Amino acid sequence: MHKCSLVLSSGSRFSGELIGAPLTSSGEIVFTTGMVGYSEAITDPSYFGQILCFTYPLIGNYGIPLPPHVDATDLPKGFESAKPQAAGVILTIDSPEAFHWNSIQSLDEWLKREGVPGVIGLDTRHLVQIIRSEPNLLGRIEPESAEGDRMYEGAFAPTQKTAFFDPGIMNVLDYVSRKEPITVGKGKRRVGLIDCGVKWNIVRQLVDLDCEVQLLPWDSDFSSVDCDYWLISNGPGDPTRTDDLIQRVSRLFDEDRPILGICLGHQILSLAAGALTKRMPYGHRSHNQPVYLVGTRKGYITSQNHSYVVQDNTLGDDWEVWFRNANDQSIEGIKHKTKPFRSIQFHPEASGGPQDTSWIFSEFLSEVTK
Amino acid sequence: MPMLKQLASLGRTPTVLLLGSGGLSIGQAGEFDYSGTQAIKALREEGIQVIVVNPNIATVQTNPQAGIKTYLYPVEVEWVEKVIETEKPDAIIAGFGGQTALNCLLELDDKGILQKHGVINLGTPAEILRMTEDRDEFAQKMKSINMPVPPSYACETVEESIKAANEIGYPVIVRAAYALGGLGSGFANNEDELVALARPAFASSPQVLVEKSLKGWKEVEYEVMRDSEKNAITICNMENFDPLGIHTGDSIVVCPSQSLSDDEYQVLRNAALTIVNALGIVGECNVQYALDPHSLQFYVIEVNARLSRSSALASKASGYPIAYIAAKVVLGYDLLELKNPVTGITYSFFEPALDYVTIKMPRWDLLKFTGVSRLLGSTMKSVGEVMSIGRSFPEALQKATRMVTEHAAGISRELPGLSQDDLETALSEPTDLRLFAVIEAFRRDMSIETVHKLTGINEWFLYHSKRIADAEKEISGHADTTALSDPAKFTVASFKKVGEETWRKWKLLGFGDEQIALLLYRGTESEANSEDIRISSLEIRRLRIELGVKPVVKKIDTTAGEYPSPSNYLYLSYGGIFDDPFPDDGKTFSAVVLGGGSYRIGTSVEFDWCAVSCSNKLQESGWRSIIVNCNPETVSTDYNASDRLYFEELSLERILDICDFERPVGVVASMGGQLPNRLATPLHKSGIKLLGHRAKTIDLAEDRSKFSALLDELGIGQPRWLAARSQDEINSFIEEIGFPVLIRPSYVLSGAAMNVAYDSESLRQCLADAADLSPDHPVVITEFIEGAREVELDGVAKNGEILTAIVSEHVENAGVHSGDATTVVPAQRLYVETVRRVRRFGRDIAKGLGLNGPFNMQFLAKENEIKVIECNARAARSFPFVSKTVGLNLADAATEIMIGNTPNLSRFNEDDLPYVGVKAAMFSFKRLGGADPVLGVEMASTGEVGCIGETFDAALLLALEASGVRIPKKGILVSSGTEKQKLAFLPAAKLFSDMGIPLFATPGTASYLTDHGFEVTSLAWPSEAENNGETDVVEAIKQGLVDFVINIPKNTKRTELTNGSKVRQAAARYGCSLLTNMEKVTAFSKAISNLPDFVNRHRLLTLRHYQ
Repeated sequence: MHKCSLVLSSGSRFSGELIGAPLTSSGEIVFTTGMVGYSEAITDPSYFGQILCFTYPLIGNYGIPLPPHVDATDLPKGFESAKPQAAGVILTIDSPEAFHWNSIQSLDEWLKREGVPGVIGLDTRHLVQIIRSEPNLLGRIEPESAEGDRMYEGAFAPTQKTAFFDPGIMNVLDYVSRKEPITVGKGKRRVGLIDCGVKWNIVRQLVDLDCEVQLLPWDSDFSSVDCDYWLISNGPGDPTRTDDLIQRVSRLFDEDRPILGICLGHQILSLAAGALTKRMPYGHRSHNQPVYLVGTRKGYITSQNHSYVVQDNTLGDDWEVWFRNANDQSIEGIKHKTKPFRSIQFHPEASGGPQDTSWIFSEFLSEVTK
Repeated sequence: MPMLKQLASLGRTPTVLLLGSGGLSIGQAGEFDYSGTQAIKALREEGIQVIVVNPNIATVQTNPQAGIKTYLYPVEVEWVEKVIETEKPDAIIAGFGGQTALNCLLELDDKGILQKHGVINLGTPAEILRMTEDRDEFAQKMKSINMPVPPSYACETVEESIKAANEIGYPVIVRAAYALGGLGSGFANNEDELVALARPAFASSPQVLVEKSLKGWKEVEYEVMRDSEKNAITICNMENFDPLGIHTGDSIVVCPSQSLSDDEYQVLRNAALTIVNALGIVGECNVQYALDPHSLQFYVIEVNARLSRSSALASKASGYPIAYIAAKVVLGYDLLELKNPVTGITYSFFEPALDYVTIKMPRWDLLKFTGVSRLLGSTMKSVGEVMSIGRSFPEALQKATRMVTEHAAGISRELPGLSQDDLETALSEPTDLRLFAVIEAFRRDMSIETVHKLTGINEWFLYHSKRIADAEKEISGHADTTALSDPAKFTVASFKKVGEETWRKWKLLGFGDEQIALLLYRGTESEANSEDIRISSLEIRRLRIELGVKPVVKKIDTTAGEYPSPSNYLYLSYGGIFDDPFPDDGKTFSAVVLGGGSYRIGTSVEFDWCAVSCSNKLQESGWRSIIVNCNPETVSTDYNASDRLYFEELSLERILDICDFERPVGVVASMGGQLPNRLATPLHKSGIKLLGHRAKTIDLAEDRSKFSALLDELGIGQPRWLAARSQDEINSFIEEIGFPVLIRPSYVLSGAAMNVAYDSESLRQCLADAADLSPDHPVVITEFIEGAREVELDGVAKNGEILTAIVSEHVENAGVHSGDATTVVPAQRLYVETVRRVRRFGRDIAKGLGLNGPFNMQFLAKENEIKVIECNARAARSFPFVSKTVGLNLADAATEIMIGNTPNLSRFNEDDLPYVGVKAAMFSFKRLGGADPVLGVEMASTGEVGCIGETFDAALLLALEASGVRIPKKGILVSSGTEKQKLAFLPAAKLFSDMGIPLFATPGTASYLTDHGFEVTSLAWPSEAENNGETDVVEAIKQGLVDFVINIPKNTKRTELTNGSKVRQAAARYGCSLLTNMEKVTAFSKAISNLPDFVNRHRLLTLRHYQ
């Protein structure tokens, strides 16, 4: 057994055993209460730079399907990007062997291969109570005899062994966005997708709805893109630390092409519309977040993963709140009063989690370009 | 939207009629007390006046309370219509009373009764319910919304079958239509096999069904809630441990699913939402699927548009109060406006996140029934269930097995003498023992793959089962036999090198301390007695606690810790280091109340009623009530039935763990039946204070020899008895007292039941069943007194003084188990002198035992000669019935005594009772193929009903109807054993024939009746009919010539004439009323004769409040 510790920026230390690669890693510590969809979560670029604690104690049961080839366009199910994005994982208990028709390896084997460390055997429920009571908690995974650091495409490594990496204090889009544009799908509708760390299921949904999707690096010149629709994707980090992305998005408001923002994309769109965002004490990270369509009694269960939220009463007059969270009444979506611009904080593409709001894609695509 | 406009705009308090589910039977058990009780709470919060119709007097939902009127009547249209006419309710709710309530609603709707009286049906509309019940209509509807249902074709030729099979794709299952018992059905993997099956099938049946074989597919369920605003959520999903093919009620069920990927989870979740939306369900709904273990393909198997056993389980597994919320939803509230009562800050529109795993395990009790097949299939056979909670799968699996077996060995139970062939059969043909066979296979080093091939059980479940079997070997391997003679030294020597990590590993794999002790002794090949095991297990406890290996207390909060929660719903696990935090509730005193565990033959909803009453009384008295129970079908395990709920094992180890954490004043072990009662002595030995009876009292009452000596001392008679250790002892005892005698094997592991031996032949048989007569395993032989009345005394005592006690009487003579007997309060036929002696003996026994709490005593009375059968120093099955009938809550009074108060009973007058109550047993023989529905000294009923009336006759008729004995219309078939019984039947025969009910009888009885001047049709016994082609009795039952069968066995011998058994089984199978006891027949005949046109002339009574 390989001992491994989790050290928190608050000073606590918990010891457990290593799963995955024997590497040191650091990041913001967050939790998700989803009971399925661990490979989707770990490869979700929104979790970039975060150590992901699973509250469900039995993770890894159904293994990991055949991983994708980097930059392939077949986007195999089970993965939301080509590789693990989380800085590390925290699990309660082992399920060292996996059994599923679709599995080719265990979670442990996959994490090892992909260079992701994790700790098992911690009291995850207790850890969640700590995360809940100490906002913006950072953590570091320290295997007893680490063989190196968790690397992100060689672009990032903590400078000091005792440092904590905080994805909230810098622009992290370079680490998750594409470097070169690529087109996926051959459909009638052409979508320009601003890739801030897009989840593949957004692309899959669009392709299934007869779209040709141009995946654009986050720092592209949007004015040169020929498309019918804009989609600003999800992604990690603080929406205000995105250089000039907000200004470039606000310029899209001059035109009438439909825009849909998802998660980070929703925050960017809201900022571009003049609203403010703030960091939540602890984010919404689960598959069971209730939202409702404002002005109705109609609710949806959504999959969410965000630390930042659009502040109430900061929206401009041209905009209105589209969805709110049923539990804390926070803004879950906005839309322009006259133009086809809208955005949502939750993930209509799900993966993992419930797919109750996938209608948002077809509604978006049915907007007639004026 | 708040309450429905139709109700809100009445301008007065609305009245809602709630239908219950009647007596507990297989397939419809305590879960409906849970759902009905929650519904009542939800309705009362809205100020609604609730009318409850349910003859199940032992339920919490039939408690007399403010704002509720209880009608203890059969849930049948004619009675419910009478209630509607009397009470004129504004609305009716049927979704909380199981299939019984649903069927009743549909009939009320069909007959226009609801429309006539303007009663609104709250919840899913009747036409949708009807559609989900109709196989064809349902399949059509599913197809119309692109939901796959398993392909099935009805074929009339072999050629058509081949075509159908090609259409469906092999393998297929072939079923001969209209064939009983699965005759002529089987699996075909190719055309040759199909033809081989179909040809003979067509020889016996005009039609053959060819269906897609889903053998080995996963069975998955989703629980869905949908409100009137069309908001729908899935509360949770569940996955069966066993593959498709075993009724889900007989399956081990895991919540949430373990082997489903996100993709699979969401595909089935989406389908569930699509289905409930398309059907227009309002309230709760359950959707069952078959899922291919090798692809995303699935089929919809079934939809239940009501609260079900699954929803009760889902509610307890997820913490989401499904029945409570469903009741608010059918009233018109939407999920977005209803708070989640568990967190208090979030809303009901969300899907619970679990951070633990739960396992439901069925409890069968098949050995209690004569002749029943142990094979599991599409007909449910289990009589109860438990649910375990853990943070690892093996932890939960092991807990569940110990909970359901009520034995420390749990999953480590060995199957001795099983050959490899037998083992493979036990794996491939599922019975109640299959889980043990799986572990045994891994003990014998069979591979996961092989076991998977034989069982079809998912490899993931098998893998974790194997981990348990591997650890068993590891534990046994630690045995160090040098100090074997001293259990404490032996234990310490064996485990001296075991460190914290290993203890943690074993505990997280779910091993109990006693189980570890058993496994350790298994490693020595020398047998340990129970005291050795107890000492060893306490030593194990000490060793691991020294190393800091203790379980932690975790909350079930529905949000996996995402929100702080005041939840009081708790479990213990070794999958953690820290206890969840608890705010101070300001209470000084606390008591741990032990519940009854799984429902089973002998322990049912009655004991849950006792535990709930006790908990409520503790709370009223300012105490913190802490309930421990593990049965998801109960009210006691509701989130608001106590201050703290531990959904946990009722074992010494676990109760000690809980006491370590809670530091209660003491433990109440006398309210949950025999299981917690057995824990009283070990708890006392471990230094835990017992509330109520002292440990010495319990020991004195439970230990046959000590109790017997006490009776001798008090000069109170008892049937003669002997704990025989050899055949010689038995012979000389029988020589002395003669036959018949009651034989009671020492321990139930042999599976042998109690029985009566009438002669040396039947004695030999009984003893052969008892198997292991030896000095260590004595057989208890008791004088069996025939023709005696059985009298019970239920009450409460304080410091040896009876404060109050109620006399009740059995309708049947002694010889029918008290749990199966028909009981009446107040006693109707006893001599004043008999009652006086019963009371006097009761007082003497109370004093002699030093009773200090609830008690039940049973007596035999013959010509004023009174003999004591037993005294239970605990609350009894009869408590709710007696309490509600006489208007005094005995459980409340007992609780007062436990906390040191003296209940004020001055207003209660034993001689001034408002009405007569009759309790009748409810049987489930229809579901137990092969079982002989005969009553004897061993209890066989699965539930009971209790009804009240102005007279004994009225209460008896109501109770019997509620238990399925209806007034005969077409004809009565009589077959009455001995000459004596034939003679005893004559008065009843006179009454029946005077009422013009046609009589049929088997040849002997027929000629006897003819000789006595009755007009009777003689029918041949089945065995005789084969020879001369006459209509035999079984045929007459099948054809519906008769609707009532009176079959009195010659004696209560277990293997009576197969002819009689065939008649009784046919009656059970074809839904005939069946009486097998002459006293009951006599009472019934008098009652129907005294009360003609009963339903119309009967004046309804409601249950009076407690005094």
